[in-house]
Amino acid sequence: MKKITSLALACMLFALAVFPVSASGNLPYDSYIYDYWENIVLTPAPYVPGGSVSGVSLGVGAFSRPQDMCVGPDGLVYVADTGNNRIVILNEEMTEPVGIIDSFYNNNSPDTFNAPFGVSVSPDNLLYVADSQNMRVIALDGDKVVHTVKDPQSEMLDEEFIFTPLKVAVDFAGRVYVIARGMTQGIMVFNPEGEFTGFFGTINVQITPWEIFWRAISTRAQRERQQLFIATEFTGIDVDSRGFIYASNIDSDGLRAVRRLNPTGEDVIRTGENEHLGGDLVWGGFTPYAGPSQIVDVVYRGKGIYSLLDSRRGRVFTYDREGNLLYIFGGLGSQAGTFRQPVSIEALGSRIAVLDAARNEIMIFEETLYGRLINEAVALRYDGDESQAVEKWRQVLLLNENLEIANIGIGKAYLTSGDNLNAMKYLRLGQSRTYYSIAYRRYRNEVLKANLPWVLTGVLVLAAALPVTVTLRKRRRAKLKGGADG
Amino acid sequence: MRKYFSKERMFYFRRILMHPLDSFYEIRHREYGSVPVALICVLLFGLVFTMNRIFAGFIVNEVNPRTVNGLTEIGSVFLLFMLFCIGNWSVTCLMNGEGRLKDIITVVGYSLTPLIAVYIPATLLSHVVAAGEEVFYYFAIGAGLVWFGLLVLMGIMTVHNYSLLKTIVTLVLTLLAMFILIFLALLIYDLINQVYIFIYSIYTELIFRY
Repeated sequence: MKKITSLALACMLFALAVFPVSASGNLPYDSYIYDYWENIVLTPAPYVPGGSVSGVSLGVGAFSRPQDMCVGPDGLVYVADTGNNRIVILNEEMTEPVGIIDSFYNNNSPDTFNAPFGVSVSPDNLLYVADSQNMRVIALDGDKVVHTVKDPQSEMLDEEFIFTPLKVAVDFAGRVYVIARGMTQGIMVFNPEGEFTGFFGTINVQITPWEIFWRAISTRAQRERQQLFIATEFTGIDVDSRGFIYASNIDSDGLRAVRRLNPTGEDVIRTGENEHLGGDLVWGGFTPYAGPSQIVDVVYRGKGIYSLLDSRRGRVFTYDREGNLLYIFGGLGSQAGTFRQPVSIEALGSRIAVLDAARNEIMIFEETLYGRLINEAVALRYDGDESQAVEKWRQVLLLNENLEIANIGIGKAYLTSGDNLNAMKYLRLGQSRTYYSIAYRRYRNEVLKANLPWVLTGVLVLAAALPVTVTLRKRRRAKLKGGADG
Repeated sequence: MRKYFSKERMFYFRRILMHPLDSFYEIRHREYGSVPVALICVLLFGLVFTMNRIFAGFIVNEVNPRTVNGLTEIGSVFLLFMLFCIGNWSVTCLMNGEGRLKDIITVVGYSLTPLIAVYIPATLLSHVVAAGEEVFYYFAIGAGLVWFGLLVLMGIMTVHNYSLLKTIVTLVLTLLAMFILIFLALLIYDLINQVYIFIYSIYTELIFRY
């Protein structure tokens, strides 16, 4: 017995030594990040579970497979309670229900939802609902329908295409962006009058030479049974303050799961040094838990920061405007603060809310000191206030010495202020070869400028002295010879 | 000992840089080569290669220094070298090659000289280049590699008394032979492992019974 106890103790000690306990303590998930070499590095938790909200806890009856939620300009939270055919409106703190919309007036006749899948609130406070089984998107002002988008007509669309809107977003000009089921050509865009104007942000299919080769040598019968090369569908959509559309999609390669689309539909997102915006980098294995992250929603959180929600492993990935990974948290499970089927993510001030369609709950996550410092530092850099950002990055380094973005942030500030040697030190710690090179080039010029005069003088002196010594030596030799002879 | 490390033999590899064909001929027919010196060349190359992986300048060095183990690196360089030599020997034996294993080892080992000579200054150079100037570094290494390749080609050609075309064909076959060798090695490893497991299970059976 004693042996077993000591063995167990040894195992625990070993586990402690091998898996250092992060600041997460007894959190139900690990917080981590990928370093330059794409190793998983545990970090302090940026967000910790801060309770959950369910239909029962609100006293409005349990949610039934809710699919989407959004935050209005006034801070109210709208939840699409898909299975109950209603929209539930919560107050800013998500503690009280403010209202429930289950019926409304459409041209003065009463009407209801049928599986409302997506919700969005326009800047002028109209509630847009993707009423999926009624095949329409409606804009509600209070309980009156003011716009309806349905039955899009265009030669770009197939004859038998059935319009089933899933997610919806509205920009400041009143354009409606709709993700429809089975629509692989892109996001459907409608003008404020509800007319279909075209597709947006089409994801091009990438075919590798290897696939072309296999296509070429396979027979017609084989080809018919092969998987078609179909572009992926978008999964989630959000609009930032400048009217750019953030749209997430499921990428089977796990490389690029989010796009930032400008008003003409071009992808203008920026990627970090590893050109990776697809969630997890390490996902090997053959279990259902393995495989590339399935990004189901995206939320723009202000100051260039956006978060992606992964349904495969229940992670939340946060990136900054430059495409640098800031932090990862979250996980699947049945404990408080974990998900079973996360479908939608929203930011409420400093908090992050994730809607779970299987648990019929909204999980709330509270910012920690670590998360707050990173968010603030990134925000300061976004505003161009590098020197104040450095202070924040230094505090971040106290909590997580190995965070590369923090080191790069400090290094860049040194670079701007002209302290090239310190810039080199921090940029090297941050593994930023691009900026290190800039700092190094400047430092090299400095050294050259300081030392070139005497080096060149030295060379000149040597060049002048050489003939003299040679002559002297010759003379001496001649003299010695003469002496020996004489 | 004197036989292997006499002064001519110790420094014979220097002649290879200037007069490769002559010196390879002399290695084969006048016993000027020395296997230990060739092995020292391989060891030196392993050393400078590891040094390069650890100490090359930050801008050109993508290697995580924590993943570099000097002994493993040198060991794998050595293994690859022996694999190539044995592979080449087994192919040329069947193709009327005149070279002995000893000659092949000597020739390939001596051919590493330019690479050794290039890696050290290249590693030093990598510390003074900024982005956009890495081309000097890569050019230096590339030149060393090309030189090494040419020397191996000439060496194999000379010691076996082959034409150029036949040398190239044997080099391609050598690659094949190397793969076969690896395959056989894995097979043997697996077989030995199975025998070991068999004996070990008999042993445990006996232990449990008595």
